[in-house]
Amino acid sequence: MAPLKDMDLIVLPPESVDCGTQRCRMGPTLMTELGLKLGSPLLILLPEGACICTAWPRSDLAEGYLQFHTTCATSDFNSQRFSQLRLAQLKPLTCSRLKCLRANVLVQSAEYKRTTSSQFVQELAKELLTGLYVHEKHLVNLASSGTQIQFVEVENVNSGSHKAGLVSADTFLDLGSVQTVKQYQRKQKTPVVQLGGAEEVYAPLREMLTLPLHYPESLRRLGLACPRGALLVGPPGVGKTQLVRSVAQEAGASLVTVSGPVVVGSRPGESEENLRRAFAQAQEAARDGPCILFMDEVDALCPRRSGSSSAPENRLVAQLLTLMDGIGSDEGFVIIAATNQPDALDPALRRPGRFDREVVMGVPTLKQRFQILECVSQSVPLSPSVDLMSLAEMTTGYVGADLSALCREAALQAILHTAQGEASEMGSKDGSVDMVHFHRALRLVPPSCLRSGVGVVDFKPVSWEQIGGLEDVKLKLKQSIEWPMKFPEALVRMGVCRPRGVLLYGPPGCAKTTLVKAAASSSHCTFLTVSGAQLYAPYVGDSGRALAQLFRQARACSPSIVFLDEIDSMVGSRGEDSCQGGVQAQVLSMLLNELDGVGFKPIERRGSARTTLQAQREEPQPLGEQQMELQELCNKDVMIVAATNRPDALDSALLRPGRLDHIIYVPPPDTQARLAILQLHTEKMPLNCDVCLKDLATQTQLFSGADLENLCKEAALLALHEEGMSVSCVKQKYFLGVLQRVSPSLSPHQLLQYQQVSSWSQSSS
Amino acid sequence: MSQQPSSLLHQELRKCFRVLEANQNIWKSVLAECTPLMSSLGNLAEQLRALKNVELVNTPLAQFPDLKERLQYKLIQAIDTVLGKLSEKMYALQLVRDSISKQLLAVVQQYEQKADSLDIHSCTTRSAISPSVADMLEWFQDAERYYRVQYIQRKNLLQILKPDELVFMETAPKRWATLDSPRGEENISDVLHQVSFFMSSD
Repeated sequence: MAPLKDMDLIVLPPESVDCGTQRCRMGPTLMTELGLKLGSPLLILLPEGACICTAWPRSDLAEGYLQFHTTCATSDFNSQRFSQLRLAQLKPLTCSRLKCLRANVLVQSAEYKRTTSSQFVQELAKELLTGLYVHEKHLVNLASSGTQIQFVEVENVNSGSHKAGLVSADTFLDLGSVQTVKQYQRKQKTPVVQLGGAEEVYAPLREMLTLPLHYPESLRRLGLACPRGALLVGPPGVGKTQLVRSVAQEAGASLVTVSGPVVVGSRPGESEENLRRAFAQAQEAARDGPCILFMDEVDALCPRRSGSSSAPENRLVAQLLTLMDGIGSDEGFVIIAATNQPDALDPALRRPGRFDREVVMGVPTLKQRFQILECVSQSVPLSPSVDLMSLAEMTTGYVGADLSALCREAALQAILHTAQGEASEMGSKDGSVDMVHFHRALRLVPPSCLRSGVGVVDFKPVSWEQIGGLEDVKLKLKQSIEWPMKFPEALVRMGVCRPRGVLLYGPPGCAKTTLVKAAASSSHCTFLTVSGAQLYAPYVGDSGRALAQLFRQARACSPSIVFLDEIDSMVGSRGEDSCQGGVQAQVLSMLLNELDGVGFKPIERRGSARTTLQAQREEPQPLGEQQMELQELCNKDVMIVAATNRPDALDSALLRPGRLDHIIYVPPPDTQARLAILQLHTEKMPLNCDVCLKDLATQTQLFSGADLENLCKEAALLALHEEGMSVSCVKQKYFLGVLQRVSPSLSPHQLLQYQQVSSWSQSSS
Repeated sequence: MSQQPSSLLHQELRKCFRVLEANQNIWKSVLAECTPLMSSLGNLAEQLRALKNVELVNTPLAQFPDLKERLQYKLIQAIDTVLGKLSEKMYALQLVRDSISKQLLAVVQQYEQKADSLDIHSCTTRSAISPSVADMLEWFQDAERYYRVQYIQRKNLLQILKPDELVFMETAPKRWATLDSPRGEENISDVLHQVSFFMSSD
């Protein structure tokens, strides 16, 4: 016979006759080997659990097979997953009869639990357990007996040093608790899904759920009724549903969900009935343990009641209101609703007694994004090159859902990468996710709050170097846009905050728009732009609304830059008769409000409302964290950049400090700048050696940047025209030829005007 | 010497099966007596429910004073009597279970005492006239388990009857009948047939 020590035992499914007997069938030789007698207990050990059985020879006496019933096993034991066992995994036990046993009973229905006395349950459980070997912390499956008792969880056994023993008629069963199977399963569930950066919102919800559980006595003494309802408000994707789920899981509460489409029925009265049923279900569940009734997308369920047009909906709302009033504090379940359009809700719903608390979950701030990224990338193998901090800085306006999508996309990119066999080139080893993959994923996953918005543009990034000259203008722009992002602590130390707005003015064609593009691409701001044409609509009030939405988005995705090109055509000046009461005046007043209004809506709140001072006073935090916080504080506002070539046509209210603080004159290029511009534009052009750009620069007085670009283009075209398509380079004479034909777009008179405005604005500010 | 313990064990096993045979008949007869009691219980429950639903005022019986209460009292008393009888029967079943359980305990103890001198091989050898010790122990264990579970289930059924759940009480006879397991009884008869030679080879 083959030596048994080295043999793998093949695990077969148990036979039906052995059902519930705890027998473990094996060959007689194996039994001798293990020193087992008929019916002596043994423990089958698997990596994730154990199972206690009694040894019994197979009826056909064949060796090498094992059949066992998992009557008494640890809760996560699964024999189906294993088809083979090693001999070492069988461990004979010596146990005696038990004197005393402490166990929890799991019953099928909550009703049975309520109506049956514990003494009866104890007797029944004991009778069912008699004759079985039990082990500490194991779950005994009694479902086959046909009674309401499904499982018995053995807490501890009292038999000396042994952890297992035989339950006999003399064993005393000490009944711990009676639970329903569902309750037990809820508690056993896998650890809570981690939520990053949601602590602020998490705490009130958890408190609401656990307070009545932990301190019922003191609450009664104070005569307090606990808050029973909370309304979660926040843009889509910030994790409202996930938050509720995780709160429920952590508190071990059962979750009853109600959603619009499930409740609304076709028959009149059906919807109300469904709603009542859901509430009854929650009440039932609340009898054994905490319970949350969760209404997702409550705006669909409970819209604002209006006129007689939608009677069925009105009835549904009324039913919901009465049901919510009906729950007393004794009934112990909490209602949480989530919505992203709180304004669409019926106002009657939003009062204490119904939804006592309104919890706003905003678009995550930088720090929260960092925490979320940490959470979602936990299971992803990250290579050391990945810097989550800079990733968090890059992902302005991303909500939790976006960030997890980003992570997923990055992982997918990594997989694609390795599949293409480029892994070794890119230096990423064994499929870990690199920063490169995140950069690629960033391009594929735009922030969701910008997906359906106005003013989102896709432009080719422009670097500062691509703009010739204008050094001091660049510096001023960098000061206003880049510094608050890069050196927040310095700004806070000096007690300055970032400017609200910047106005660029100057003659047309002098790279105002390009400058803004460069500023946007050099910082990781959200960049939104809107033009007059987008803003104007045939309906009264539409323009204002579009502008308001633009700013709302910009605030959600802050730090952000809103660029208003040709602002003079958008707002004009209030003094003139032409736009009195017109659309322009509306837009102007809207803009003034947005720039320096009293505040914004509470539902747009993000993060904790802390000021710079508070942040400074608190005890020192780790450097990186503090920097993050300061950066947030400095950049939570929207920055407005406007460009115009008619500064005199602007309303003076716009130009005062606090609105458009920095008024920057973008002058026409001087000789040096013109040379730089010409160099930039002729970079890709094959120039003849006789071309003297310096000479050209001096000759192009009053030429704007756009004029100079045009000049280069025309010269190249002229060369093609004169010398045929096979021309190899552009000669100086073509430049001069073009120069004779084109005239500068600027005039000295115009420039004088700008200079006047410039000196005026400087003296005023 | 090795013959001695196994023969003692055989003696004990013979006793077991004798007890089993005797108790099987008792069990069967007691269960047969229970069936009419259960059906009368269901019947009484149905009557009681009908009585609760009927408006006696609208019937010719309206002139009898307190008829409803009296009838109710009668019926409840009848149910009590039936339940009392049933509990007597349950006691008889319990005796059957207890005697078999006691016997099992005795034989297992006997085996455990002799286990050191009996190797598995000798326990699993079968002959033409006698099954192996392991088989017989297994059969007897199975039989004991069968009676124990049957007893628990039947007792549980009677215990969860409540006076205010008449519909449940009405369906009790059906539930009682579904608890019958012809296969379990058959298994026990089979076992007794299989050990008949062993029993007679005293």
